[in-house]
Formats: sequence, structure tokens, C-alpha cells
Amino acid sequence: MAHVRLEDVNKAYGTIPILRNIDLAIDHGEFVVFVGPSGSGKSTLLRMIGGLERISGGRLLIDNKVVNDVDAADRNLGMVFQSYALYPHMTVRENLAFPLRMAKVARARIDIRVAEIASLLQIAHLLDRKPRQLSGGQRQRVAIGRAIMREPKVFLFDEPLSNLDTDLRVQMRVQIAKLHKQLGNTMIYVTHDQVEAMTMADKIVVLKDGNIEQVGSPHDLYHNPASRFVAGFIGSPKMNFLNGHIEAAHDAGVDVKLDAGARVSVPVHSDELLVGKPITLGIRPDDFSRSAAEKTDIGIELDVDFVEHLGSVTYIYGRAGRESVVAKAPKPEPPKGAGKVRLAASPADCHLFMTNGRALRRLHAPANWS
Amino acid sequence: MRIKRTTSTNLILNLFVGICALILVFPLAWIVIMSLKQQAEVMTWPPTVLFVPTLENFRVLFDVAQAGATSYGTIKVDFLTPIANSVVIALGSVIISLLFGVPAGYVLARRDIPLKEDIAFFILGFRFAPVLLVVIPLFSIFQAIGLYDTYVGMIWVYQVVTLPMIVWLSRSYIEDIPKDIEEAAAMDGAKPVRVVLHIVLPLLKPGLIGASLLIFLLAWHNFALGLILSSTKAPVTVALLKLLNPGVQFYPVMAAGLVVTMIIPVILIVIGQRHLERGLTFGAVK
Repeated sequence: MAHVRLEDVNKAYGTIPILRNIDLAIDHGEFVVFVGPSGSGKSTLLRMIGGLERISGGRLLIDNKVVNDVDAADRNLGMVFQSYALYPHMTVRENLAFPLRMAKVARARIDIRVAEIASLLQIAHLLDRKPRQLSGGQRQRVAIGRAIMREPKVFLFDEPLSNLDTDLRVQMRVQIAKLHKQLGNTMIYVTHDQVEAMTMADKIVVLKDGNIEQVGSPHDLYHNPASRFVAGFIGSPKMNFLNGHIEAAHDAGVDVKLDAGARVSVPVHSDELLVGKPITLGIRPDDFSRSAAEKTDIGIELDVDFVEHLGSVTYIYGRAGRESVVAKAPKPEPPKGAGKVRLAASPADCHLFMTNGRALRRLHAPANWS
Repeated sequence: MRIKRTTSTNLILNLFVGICALILVFPLAWIVIMSLKQQAEVMTWPPTVLFVPTLENFRVLFDVAQAGATSYGTIKVDFLTPIANSVVIALGSVIISLLFGVPAGYVLARRDIPLKEDIAFFILGFRFAPVLLVVIPLFSIFQAIGLYDTYVGMIWVYQVVTLPMIVWLSRSYIEDIPKDIEEAAAMDGAKPVRVVLHIVLPLLKPGLIGASLLIFLLAWHNFALGLILSSTKAPVTVALLKLLNPGVQFYPVMAAGLVVTMIIPVILIVIGQRHLERGLTFGAVK
């Protein structure tokens, strides 16, 4: 069993704060993904858990023991680096054996374990090669193999797939997810790729400028983003943001008038104080339909700039008033090119963000709860 | 990309290369030829091109039994001892420099210490300063504390020449090793000392062999330190000078001595070249 807990953890280089007041609990067996743009502190946070960076303030607990001052070598964690960081002077076999040699495990037992891991990751035929004789994907598998040799309590992955080409990345993503099922260990995974985060994680931690923006399941983050940043970061293509202001607030939500002209009543927790304030309405490209099904639906008229056919879906790029909007073209007949198109969206699919970026909490669970 | 060259351009370029080679080879060839001539032939003008080569000069250098008796006079010459001295001093300097320089290079490459760049530059600064800068104050000190004309004293003072090089070279070699590799070893349960032993040193080996060769040559060719701080433990460079007697100049014997002095570095370079391979770290990251 391995729990990881961060209590009010801080990191600063000199006077420059990198991470601020991080509180986070990771349960045994959870697959947690740290995601955020570059410079958000996600890698630093991972390296602090690994023991490669000093913790400036707060406490880090692994299995309820404070490990702030425990050496990386003694934390019994496994880590896969973005660069793979294989030992170039050792064969694959020696690379895999290294963690056990350091732990002074008997030779015979090392050999058994190497064979076991090699067959698990399908690298048995590569054991006598040097890292430079391997392809990117093979190096990646060796790096993962080396990390799991000691059966560490927690695996740390630092952007492990970013050096691979697209096909291989998808393959390895599936492999890592499978490995997680097989081994059942706690895994902490850093990426800047929200697709990786969405597909692999039990729990996503979104970081921005050294702060945690939101923690939640992929579904949670997608449907109930806590801030405009999270709403924009999760999901592809990005959520559309339309400016407007609040005309009225009542128990059932708030009435919004968009600068582009449309009006909608969005079911969110509201406050009288908000009336008259500017607000940003968020609608995901996927949540548009061709025509209003209900009369409460918001209608938006779009000047189409161009249409992107991806095969299974078609996206319309256009403008509503002065704001650009991307929408998944409703079936059956997507528009051919420039022109005007009327789209509608259900108020239940609308998100509202205040000027400080925070979301107004939605009253109901999203309708398309899966 | 291929650049097309006309025949005449090629010819001119090759001519330049030829001239450079000639300029470099001339003194070398001259000395080798001189070492095979008789004393009388050396002094003739114009120089003789055709002559019967003799190994007499080399015999004079090493024939301890007849102690410097030549067909054209007696010189006091003992060339074996200075060669042994040079080997001991140069080798000892390399070993001591590696022992202290590599860890220093590691710290300068990897650890955050105050005034790091200043310390590094101070160490390098010795490469810019004339060696005599340290020799003159050391002369009286060495005599006072009994280090004058000892191997220990010589190896110590030779560090002025060899240590800065090793510190700087090993620092840059260590900086070339991706930090990830060391961190991976730490995550794999290796304590700092074992990281250095199992990961850093093996990766550093080709670089260090090359660097050792380089500083061995620097030590081998040094002249000023030995001239002032030694007499019986004088290196081969100083011994060569002693062949310049005030009366007769035994040029061919000196030439033979030079040839012997040059041969040892040449052999080392030929052997060591194989080890100078770089790029062992290729394939570790990306």
C-alpha cells in the first residue's frame, strides 16, 4: 500500500516561488496525472516527490511517514524520465539489473527478475544490446522496465512519451495503462498533453503558475471545470468563450445577455451581487446543435470562416459578433463553406466564468453524465 | 553538400597543406638526421645529404659502462636517470591530478557552491600565468622544508601545470553527461558515491584517458620547474640542456637525446589514440 500526501508544500528557487501551498492526497493504486502548461511546476512537483528536488516548505508523506529529508535512493520509488536516462555504458540487461544490484540482491534472483520483466515488456530479445542500438520505443520500454524492477511503492513518470512519434505514443499510452492494471501500483504521471491526461488518469491535477487549479476525475474536469483556465485546457478543440453580462440572478440561475446579442438563462449558483457584472459564457464545440430543441436554448448566429472535415467529425470555424467560435457541425448535413449558420446549445451545457476566472458552480450534474 | 573545385584550386590548396607540413616536419627531420651523423659531419657546410648513419650518439647516451667516452672527446652524460625521473614525475603528476582534479571537476560541474565560477576561473588562471610565477617564491621554501630535488616536491609543483587542465577538462566532460542519468541512478537506489563509481566514472573513462595523455605530455615537456627546483631528480628536458657544454657542443648527442625524448610521447599518443573516442554517451538520452 502506498499513499502519497502533500501538506502545504512549497518550493522556491531563492526568492522565486515555483510551487505554492500544494495540498494533495494520492491513494494507493491511483493513477494520478499532473497536467499543465510548461512552467506550471508539474515536473518540479513530481521531482520533489521523487526526492530529486528539495522541498522548501510543508510536508511530504509517503505511507504516513514524512520523507522530506529522505534521499531519493531510500524512497523506494521508480521513475521514468522524459529522456529515458538509460545508462549508455551498460547493456539492457545491466540497465535492468542496476536497481537490484544497488539493493544488493543475490545474482540468481536478479537474473530471474530481469527475465520476468523482459518478457512482460517484450524486450527479452534486446537484453544484450546497448541503449544506443535501440529505437525510441524500445528505450522507453527499457526505462519503464528498470523503474519497475524493484517493485517500487510509487511510479513516477516525467513526460515519458513526449519524445515518441504519434503512433508510438498512442501504443505506449495503452501499454502504460495496461501495466497499471497489471501491477496495481500508485502511479504519478506528468504531461502537458491533456489527451494523455484524459485517457489515462483516475485523477487529474491541473497546475498553473505553481498553484493547483483543480483536482478531479477526467469527467469532472470536463463537465465541471472550476475555472476558465481548466475549461480551456481540458478538451479539444477548446471551449468557446463569449463575453456578456448578467442581467438578473434568481434561484434557477442567472440570466446572461451576450455582447453578440443572444440571451440565455444558465442554471448556476448565483448571487444578487453579480447582477450587471461582466461574465464569460463557455460552450464546448461538441455541445452545439443545429436548431433549438427547447425554447430556453441559446441561439447563436455564426459567420462561417471555414469548415474542417476530419472524417468522423466536421468542425465549423466562424465568428459570433466579434468573437471567434468553433463548433462541431451537427449532422446530417454540415455546411459546405462560408455563409451563415444558426446554432443552438442547451443552457445545461453552458458554463459561466467570472472576471477573476473562477466558474459559477452549476446547479445540476451535466445531462450527458456517463 | 558537394562543392565543385577546379583542378587549379585543388592544386593551390594542396600546395598550402604541403607547405605547412614541410614547415612542421623540417626541424623534426633535421634532428633525426643529425642524431645519426658523426660530430664532424654535423658541422660541415653545406650540409651533407649522403652519409653513413651511425648509432654512436645513442650509445653515448646510454652506455653507462664507458660513461660518456666518445670518439671525439669525453662528456659526462647519464641519460637513463633523467628519463626515469621524467617518467616518475610525469606519471606521478597525472595520478595526483586525477585523484584531486576529477572530484573538483565534479563539484564544479554538478554542485551549487558559493563563488563557483570564481573558483573555477582561479584554477584555470594558473594556465595563463607564467610557471616562473610560482617557481621563484617556491625555490627558497622548497629548500627550507626539504622538498628541493625530491620526487614529492616535483610532483607537487607540477600540479601547477597539470591540475588546472584536469579540473577544467573533467568539468566539461561531466557537464556533457546528462544529469538525468545520475538522477535515474539515484532513483534506482544508488547513493552519491555509488552513482559516481558505477555511472559517472565509466562514462568519463574515454575523456579521462585523453585528458591524462594530454597532461602527461604537458608534464613531460616542462622545463622551467625542473631547471630550478631539482638537480639529481632533474627531468629529461633539463638533462638535454646539460649536453650544451661551455667548450664543445655535442650536437649529435643532443639530437639523439631529443629523439629519445620525443619517442615516448609519440608512442603514448599512438597507443592512446584508440581511447580518445568520444560520444560514448550517445544513445542515453533522446
